[in-house]
Parts: sequence; C-alpha cells; structure tokens
Amino acid sequence: MQKIGIFDSGVETPEEIVMAAGFTPYRFFGDPTLQPDRANEHIPPTHCIWTRNLLEQAIKGLDENIVGIIGTHGCDRTNREFDIWIECLNLDFMFFLNSPRKRDNLALNFFINDLKELILRLEEVFNIEITPGKLKDAIIITNKIRKLLKDISDYRKKLVLKGSEFHELVKNAQYQDKNQVLENLEKKSEELKSRAPFSEKNIKKILLTGSEIDDTEFIKYLESLGFHIVIDDLGVGTKYFWNLVDENLEPIEALAKYHLTKPINSIKYPSYERFNVLQKLIEDYKVDGVINIAQKFCEPVLYDHPYLNKKFKELEIPYLFIEATYNRESYNQLSTRFSAFAEII
Amino acid sequence: MSKQKTEHRKMLNATQGLKNVMGRHFLAIEQAYRDGKPTAWATSGSPVELLYAMDIQPILPENSATISAAQKYSRDFIEIAEAEGFSYDLCSYFKTNVGAVISNADLTKGGTGKPTFMLSTDVICDTHVNWFEVQAERLKVPHYTLDIPHVVSNTNNRQYNYFKKYIAEQLYSFLDFIQEVTGNEYNEERAKQVTQNSWDLSMVWQDIYELRKAVPCPMSTRDTFGGLFPLFTMPGLKEPIKLYKRMYREAKTRVDNGIGALEKEEFRLMFEGIPFWYNLKFFGMLERWNSIIVYEPYTYAFSKYMNPKVTKEMVLSQPIEAMSELMLSFWYIYDLKTRIKKFEETVREWKIDGVLLHENLSCRPNSCGLYDLKRHLMDDYDIPCLVISSDMNDPRKMNETQVINQIESFIEILRKRKKK
Repeated sequence: MQKIGIFDSGVETPEEIVMAAGFTPYRFFGDPTLQPDRANEHIPPTHCIWTRNLLEQAIKGLDENIVGIIGTHGCDRTNREFDIWIECLNLDFMFFLNSPRKRDNLALNFFINDLKELILRLEEVFNIEITPGKLKDAIIITNKIRKLLKDISDYRKKLVLKGSEFHELVKNAQYQDKNQVLENLEKKSEELKSRAPFSEKNIKKILLTGSEIDDTEFIKYLESLGFHIVIDDLGVGTKYFWNLVDENLEPIEALAKYHLTKPINSIKYPSYERFNVLQKLIEDYKVDGVINIAQKFCEPVLYDHPYLNKKFKELEIPYLFIEATYNRESYNQLSTRFSAFAEII
Repeated sequence: MSKQKTEHRKMLNATQGLKNVMGRHFLAIEQAYRDGKPTAWATSGSPVELLYAMDIQPILPENSATISAAQKYSRDFIEIAEAEGFSYDLCSYFKTNVGAVISNADLTKGGTGKPTFMLSTDVICDTHVNWFEVQAERLKVPHYTLDIPHVVSNTNNRQYNYFKKYIAEQLYSFLDFIQEVTGNEYNEERAKQVTQNSWDLSMVWQDIYELRKAVPCPMSTRDTFGGLFPLFTMPGLKEPIKLYKRMYREAKTRVDNGIGALEKEEFRLMFEGIPFWYNLKFFGMLERWNSIIVYEPYTYAFSKYMNPKVTKEMVLSQPIEAMSELMLSFWYIYDLKTRIKKFEETVREWKIDGVLLHENLSCRPNSCGLYDLKRHLMDDYDIPCLVISSDMNDPRKMNETQVINQIESFIEILRKRKKK
C-alpha cells in the first residue's frame, strides 16, 4: 500500500486524513546508529540532531511506497527544514501543516482551515475524494487503537508490561498499516490479561518526559539500570492516544479539536501548563521520580527545564534532567547520572 | 586629508544624533514608570505601532540586550541565566535579559523593568514566546502572544488568505486584551497618525538603502547597525523620522559628490544575520581590506513595508489587515526559495562582490537554510559566499582569530576574481 510520510516532531498530524485518502500514514523515526553526514551539508551540526537524522534517511532514500510527505509544525526550525526537504526530495506531494501554537478558538478555526487545505491538496495531487464518511471510518479505527493503547498502557502501572515493550507497540502504531496495528494490539491486550507481574524487586517507577524519544533501546537501557517507565508524556507514548476524537462531531472539526485539546507539549503555548499535565500523571501513577530528557539542541524542552525543576523542587518530587545525544554510544556515558538518581529515589 | 574629513567619511555626522533619539526613548520609558503609564515589553517583529496607538510605552528587551553586549555586560548576564538552569545552547539575547532582570540592571546596562504586560510573537522565532513566558512568570505580569503561521516554499494563495485572517483576528483580540489590562482604548485617529509615522520612517530608511547602491557606498554598518534601533523601538513617532532624513540628506550629498564611507572601496559585501553586538569593531576591521558592507537584510528587514501589496493607503485605512499581511512577508523570515531569489536580486542591484553569512549559534531559525542558500548563490549565480560561525550576544562563542583568517582568505578570493 502506498504511504504518506509524516515528518512531525510531535504527534500533531491527523493520520485519519491520510487514511481517508487511501494511504498508510508513515511517521518517520530516527536511526541512532546513523551519522547525519549528508544532512549536515544542509543543516548546521548545532541544530536538532533528531531532525538531521530524519533528513539523512530521506536523502539516502525513502521507502519506495512513500508518495508524499506531510511536515507538521513543531519548533521554529521545522518550517525552515521543510524547505530543505523540498530541496532534497522529488515528490509530487509535499505539504506543510501549520499546527497552531495556541489552543484557543481562533487557533481552532485556523487549524480547521489548514486541515481543509491539506485535504484539498491531497485530492488535487492524487485525484481522489476524501469524504466525511471516509474520515469517520478512519476515526473509528484510530479511536479503537487509542483505546487499546490506553488499556495496554495501564499494564505498565500494574508492573506487568515493560516500558520498552509498550514503547515498541506505540511506535509500530505510528507507521504500520492501521488494520494490522489493530489486530496486533487486540492480540496483545488478550495476552496481557494472563501475564504475571514482574518478579524484579526495587523497581524505580518513573515518569519519562522531554524531547521525542523514539529509540526503544534507550528505554531498555533505562530498564537495565533499574528504572521502570510506568507512564510518560511523549509522542511515542501517551500523547499519541490519551484522548479520543469525538465521533459525533463533524470529522474535520473533531480532528482539529482533538489535537488542540490533548495534553500540552513544550512547543505549545502556554508550555508551562505541561507541568500540570505532569503533576497529574505523577499523582495518578505514584511515580518515584521524573526523568526529563532533552535531545541536544532541543530548545522547547531546554526552555521548560528550569521551571519544571523549580516546581518539582517545591513539591519535593525527585527530578532528573539530562541533555542527551542521539546515538547509542552516548547512553553509557550517562550511566553515572542515572545511577546517582536511582540512589536518591 | 584632514582628520576631520577622514572621520566624516567613516560615519555620517547625522548618525551621531542616534544617541539623542534613543536617549529620548529611554527617557520616555523612565517617564512612563514615574507617571504610572502602562508599559509593555515587545519582541522584535511584533506590531509595536499598536502599542503606541494605544498609548502604551513599548520596551524592546532585544534592543536592551544589544546594549548589554555593547557595554560588555552580556557575558555576565548570560552566565547568571545559565546558573538558573538555562542551557548553554539557548538564545543569548534571552539569557542576557534573564541575567539583567535577575541582577536588577538599570537601563544603561540593558536592564528592563517590570512592564504592565508583555507582547510576543513567533513570527521570527519560538524563543520570543518562550522568553516572555519565562519572564512573565518571573515578574507575574500578563502575556499576550501572536501565533503566526509559517510560510514555506510551496505555500499557496489560498493559504495566505486564511493565514492573514488568523493573524488579523489575533490582532483584534490583542486590542481587547490591552483594553482589559490597561483600560486604554483604541483610538482610530491616533492609530492613523502612528501608522503614518511608521510608514514615513520606513520609507526614509528604504531611501537610505537605495543610496547604498552607489559606488562608492556613502555609508557603512557604522550607520546602519545602530541606526536600525528606532525602527524596532519607535515606529510611530516623529523624532526618528527627522534623524533618518538628516542621515539621508548627508548620504545623498556624499553620493552626489562621489564620496564613499571608505577612502578606497574595493570590495562590496553583504552581511546576513544579526551582528556580534559585543564586537562591533570587527566590522570596522573589514576596512583594512578596503571592504565595506553595503547591505544587511537584517537591518533592512525592519523597514517592514516592503510587500508591494501593502500600499500606504491600505496601511492607513486598514492597519490591522496591513500588519497581518506584513507579518507574513518579512525579509527575515522568507522561505528558502524566496530568500534565494531576494539575495540574488540584492547582490545584483547593490553590486555586491561577496556575501558573509552569519551562522548564528543563538538563532537557529535564521541559520537553518543558510547552507542551501549559500550553495544556490554560489552554484546558480556564481556569487562568492562565506559562512561565519559565531553568536550575536555571547562573546564566548566567537573565535575572532578564526573568523578574521576566514575573511582574509575570502577577500583574497574576491581579489582574484576581480583580476580575471
């Protein structure tokens, strides 16, 4: 099946529109074993290492079934980088979605207009029709996926499902065929019902937050140090499934509302509201500590850190902030800080 | 040649008047605090005219940060911010302001007092919004932000239309916000006068830039880097218009008499990006190679009325709609395709020999795309370019020797090209 690639540092792209157009939404993920040598010829090495990694892969050659790309506004370089993607790739369909920074009614109306434009452009380029009925069908599927992921996520809290295993499930859901995803998740859900809790003792229950973390090996690395990610507020995590799209609303409006009302991330305004999201998760999941990972040069997360640090100190919640580099060799260099944090909590 | 004449050539006499004009701006800020008049911090690229139109005294923390740098305080302020947990990799303007506020620095050191409210926009960068979010929380003041959609190389006219609509709606909502916070009401007549002044100020600045097309160029960055500040801080007032007119007249006289800012002008350069405010002498140093910067997109960009669709009539009769259009067509935020086109045109019209591109470690949105811009200018138009890596306000990030060596080699290349 043909795919539409999604270049999105958050999870703000309505996959349902891509599905209703007859394509598989295929979110791009990084490859931490890859050096962004060719991307560095376009983007300075002091810029987000993750998006340089995605560009590197795109320059080297995308999956041949990818027939177009949606770039969705994340931080302030994403639009500039999208211009570079236009430079480097030769695809008929390239659309930049201006996911608004604000979340009020004006922003909602604007986002609805931008989603309508996305639909129009897909229809124009691929000579197709995206009907409200097709959008509704897609919403029903993605809502089922969201519900299943939320149920499955709770097995992390019950200490039945490892964070790394869950991470992989969410990641797969963002680039595999949705019907296949649904089938896999249903099976997993059944299987988990009879799975016994972990036998390990002294597990440190963690809320993981920060920049997009798409390398499951990193989660496994944290687990090897005795941490267990019981909850997160990441794109490859709860931000992908926490709320549901309202199936009773007109579909475009429902999709816009869904994206503007889901748990806030650091790119949105006011980003300090993210603390409230985190605080609620901390209370609900009774975590032992919070780990905030900023990928090197990830400005939105870097701006939020001092505020979060202050608030967590006030609440006496153990909090570890790490600026990490997107390659696996660097993980071990962080072990001292992680181990010291494990001691504290 | 007499000493007086040499000095005269380097900087316009009229530019000396900048100190007075900017002095008035800072006096107005102090006066506003004394009188209890509402004040607002505003980020560059935001519609400062609306503040003047609503009788709010604007304060531009970026402008203040440049003062800190020029006075050699920025490094200390930046380190104070870093001690608070703000990363080494974040914007040095932002960190300068954080440090200045924590230190309670006065205006002469680049300090900015607590305002009645803050106005930010992400038209230039996200940092502006994050910056004011941090500082509004610290100072406990209301903050309004304008969310500006981003134009890319393949944005179409349909999109432009709803982009503009979204901005205009926010501007109207901002007027309500001001009224709610300060009680000040929007006065159409006053707004018209402010807009007229803003238009006039920008037009004179653009006329000055036209004069810089002359060979030899009548003025250098000694006049424009500082000369830019009234465009940021005082669009809507009459005083800076007089200053710019004096600068224009003097530069025109130079052009009419074939006098350049340099005694011998060999190489005409363009400088893309924000200058290193802590090391402005660096730009004077270019003169040792008989080189002069004749165009800076950064200083030109703030004469905002460059979009031919935005006429004076529109600005006066529909200021909100005009501002909405202008915020989407600002030199500093051009998409890559438009950026390449504008650079090529500018190089041709201003008879530029080479382009210096500042890869600013503090301004990632601006430096993103710089490599492709360079490649196109060199490969498609045979325009020599040099990328310099440094920072606008953090002296720790400038390796002066390396930059000088790079420029020396670049000038050699230009020299060889001229000999061909």
